[in-house]
Amino acid sequence: MYKLLFKSFFRTKIFLVSLVLLITVGTVSILIGKQYLVKQEKTIVAAQEFQKESVKRILKYNDKDIGLLLYYLKFTLVKKPANISAISIGQSDVNPLLQAVTIRGLEGQKYDTDFENPSLLMSGNLDLGFVIIYLFPLVLIAMTFNLYSEEKELGTWRILAAQTSKKGKFLFNKLIVRILFVFAIFVFLMFLASGILQIPMNQNFWAIFFHSLLYLLFWSALCLFTVSLLKNSSFNALALISIWVVLTILFPAVVNNYVINKYQVPEALDAMVEQRDGYHEKWDLEKNATMTGFYEAYPQFNNYPVPEDRFSWIWYYGMQHMGDLAAKETSAEMMEKIILRNTISEKVALFVPTMHAQLSFNNLAGTDMVSHLSFLKALTQFHEQLRLDFYPRIFDRKPANSVNWEKHDTKFYIAEYNFSWIYLMLPTFFITIVITFFGLFNLRKL
Amino acid sequence: MRKNVIYLLARQLCTDAIRSKVMGIASILMVFLLSFSVYSGWENYHDQNNTRDAIQGEVQESWENNPDKHPHRMAHYGSFAIRIKHILSVFDLGMENFVGNAVFLEAHKQNTVNFSEASMSTGLLRFGEVSLAMLLKVIVPLLIFYLGFATIARERENGTLKLLIGQGITRREIVFGKWLGLWSLSLLFLFTVFIVLLFFVVIESHDVMQAESPFRYSILLVSYILFFGILSAITILVSAFSKTAKGALVKLLGIWLLFVIIVPKSLQAIGYYLYPTPSKIEMETAVEHDLIKQGDSHNPDDPHFKAIKDSVLLANNVEKVADLPFNYGGFIMAKGEALSTKVYLEHQEKLYDVYSKQNNLERYSAFVNPYTAIKNLSTALSGTDFKSFLHFKGKAEAYRFKLAQEMNRLQMDLIPNKGKAGPNTISRDYWKKFPPFEYNFLSTTKVFKNEIISILALFLWGVLGVLGLLRLSTNLKAI
Repeated sequence: MYKLLFKSFFRTKIFLVSLVLLITVGTVSILIGKQYLVKQEKTIVAAQEFQKESVKRILKYNDKDIGLLLYYLKFTLVKKPANISAISIGQSDVNPLLQAVTIRGLEGQKYDTDFENPSLLMSGNLDLGFVIIYLFPLVLIAMTFNLYSEEKELGTWRILAAQTSKKGKFLFNKLIVRILFVFAIFVFLMFLASGILQIPMNQNFWAIFFHSLLYLLFWSALCLFTVSLLKNSSFNALALISIWVVLTILFPAVVNNYVINKYQVPEALDAMVEQRDGYHEKWDLEKNATMTGFYEAYPQFNNYPVPEDRFSWIWYYGMQHMGDLAAKETSAEMMEKIILRNTISEKVALFVPTMHAQLSFNNLAGTDMVSHLSFLKALTQFHEQLRLDFYPRIFDRKPANSVNWEKHDTKFYIAEYNFSWIYLMLPTFFITIVITFFGLFNLRKL
Repeated sequence: MRKNVIYLLARQLCTDAIRSKVMGIASILMVFLLSFSVYSGWENYHDQNNTRDAIQGEVQESWENNPDKHPHRMAHYGSFAIRIKHILSVFDLGMENFVGNAVFLEAHKQNTVNFSEASMSTGLLRFGEVSLAMLLKVIVPLLIFYLGFATIARERENGTLKLLIGQGITRREIVFGKWLGLWSLSLLFLFTVFIVLLFFVVIESHDVMQAESPFRYSILLVSYILFFGILSAITILVSAFSKTAKGALVKLLGIWLLFVIIVPKSLQAIGYYLYPTPSKIEMETAVEHDLIKQGDSHNPDDPHFKAIKDSVLLANNVEKVADLPFNYGGFIMAKGEALSTKVYLEHQEKLYDVYSKQNNLERYSAFVNPYTAIKNLSTALSGTDFKSFLHFKGKAEAYRFKLAQEMNRLQMDLIPNKGKAGPNTISRDYWKKFPPFEYNFLSTTKVFKNEIISILALFLWGVLGVLGLLRLSTNLKAI
């Protein structure tokens, strides 16, 4: 029976249209992911060259004064890109891939953005994640909305009803044929992506894989349920598209607006001003105003004297650090708010499979907010390590060639991933089961 | 064409639609979304602008409160430019949340505009944002299709179309009556939104900065009325040329998905694919490279700066820089600032050219996709498009340059050269004399110039719609 069902399905127009649409857009999305990876690689190469060149150039004219040298020198920390991020580019186009910082105050350098066309940011990336979350459900809808109603409207249902006693099972099988077809395209695209983008088949890959399958099952269940109401084609099309609009556009957008308004982050601007003023005002104060705080933060430099009557590097870098300290509290509040935004969104998403899928993809691909925040944390540590390495050399007025500059090349931060299968799968699984149950229950009455 | 017949048909369509179930559900949904977007739009605008205004004020205050000091220290102290939202951003969020909000302005360096809402958001942002304009651009078109797909197709299926024609009603009257009915129905949503919006425009009309917003508001209103007219015409045409109502619905849904979701996004992605852009570090390396070619300020023996020095010494007829009648350090920094700014802006201009190329693919698609036309026009008039952001950025950069050069001038005039007697600081009164950063929105005339393509496309679509309806009036099939 399946053989016949497949055969008749392959003859439909919608089969061909879906096949061409999904394969084309899917391939395009993978190529876009590829381009994204290439751009990242190019950026990293450029950063590495920049690092080497600038050390060489600046060293040439400033080798007398290591304090001045380090005023100019930039050190780069790169968030090591994982190839899987090309499947779900997420927020990684908004947040920079790397940050090149001097050992002066970090707060004023930490949030610098990279260049990206805002029109692109607004329309979002056409990555494979988008194809899975938006287009696959549409194709499922297009193939199943008239599963029953078409037969009814064409009059073939009555012939069929006369020939079989298991009408519900027939419809269900018809649906299975279509779901299997969509699954086949999905599996093909995933393996294509894995090949072209060279994504290792690790746990994260399979997590995205199985979560996507579950997500498609969720939409299949919704289609099954709608069909099981045995309404006419127009009603089904209208209802399913409306559900699609609500789940993929309206509801997430409403939640996002709510979260952004409820947890506004004026701290971002406050911290920015606090840092500048915290540093600059020290120029006009007694040296003690700087040094007390600095010695408190780093007691190991207690024995370096600070001349009262003239400029010294310890005072200068002390002032810079005071700027960071002035903004520290506000900056921490800002981070908390951002994390809160994330937590609330994730909680709501548990009840809405589309949102859950998007956030999970980003999480698994390392392109979410949390991943960027941990990069910023690593950057803070990187910056402190650099300062603590260089401070004694500057304060002792060591010559510039006492440092092995070769060692200070571009550094990489490798993100840690962790996720729980239960958290990932259970919410959508549960919702799918409930909808399927009602759908099958309705079909039983047929 | 008899007017009263057209009105009768139009009214019939409206009353039928208003009684339908779709309209009931749609109205409830719209009321909810409308209230939500009004609330969130206004709160966002109001709170954010308050915060930003306050901070911009603080920035000025702390600038003025600086004690006497060396002007170059003030050049490094710098200032901030904070972007203020246009009142119509309550209506259309556009790029509002994807562009930065604050930039630190200091000597020697062009900083990025940071703290965009997007940089502090979760991945949910990419699902889109709810705003009044989003309802009109995305949701109402879908409703128009829902309410109108059956108009002619179902009448034909039921045989009532034949009856109408039999009763002496001309085809043209039927077509235009239905069109007018559907259009009026859609205007119901439009006017509700615009009445609410008028309230906000009026509240903020006292603000000089927002002085042009009533004008922008009227243009927006006219554009949307036209847009809905076009959509209604498309609906009627598709319904008339489809065999069954079901066929019409499927086609219209397909059109909606393609025009509103798939085509704009794909074109933007393709534009990005075709015209790659450099990353910041690549551009900065290029800028630095160009600068060094002209003259390396770090190199004490650089020929470019040496030539400047020699010519200055010659012109003033002195032997050493210390004998110059002005501060040489200030002079050389002013030269350096002018040079580096020029080079930087050239590179930035090139980058924005690439952005324009990326965007143009979608922009020109307005001629095949009326949604794109209204989208671009709507964001531009609401002051939330890329050009409005660039306008802010340009103003901020101009202020930065002015600040740095003013401090260099003060240093040249008032600080003695090295080795000469005199004060190393100047009075704080000079800080007060330097005007604060003030921002004005892009003028509406400029907006029109930027959006000429969208306006043209929308207009052409209007003409096309009417022509289509006229053609339909002659060959509408009754059976």
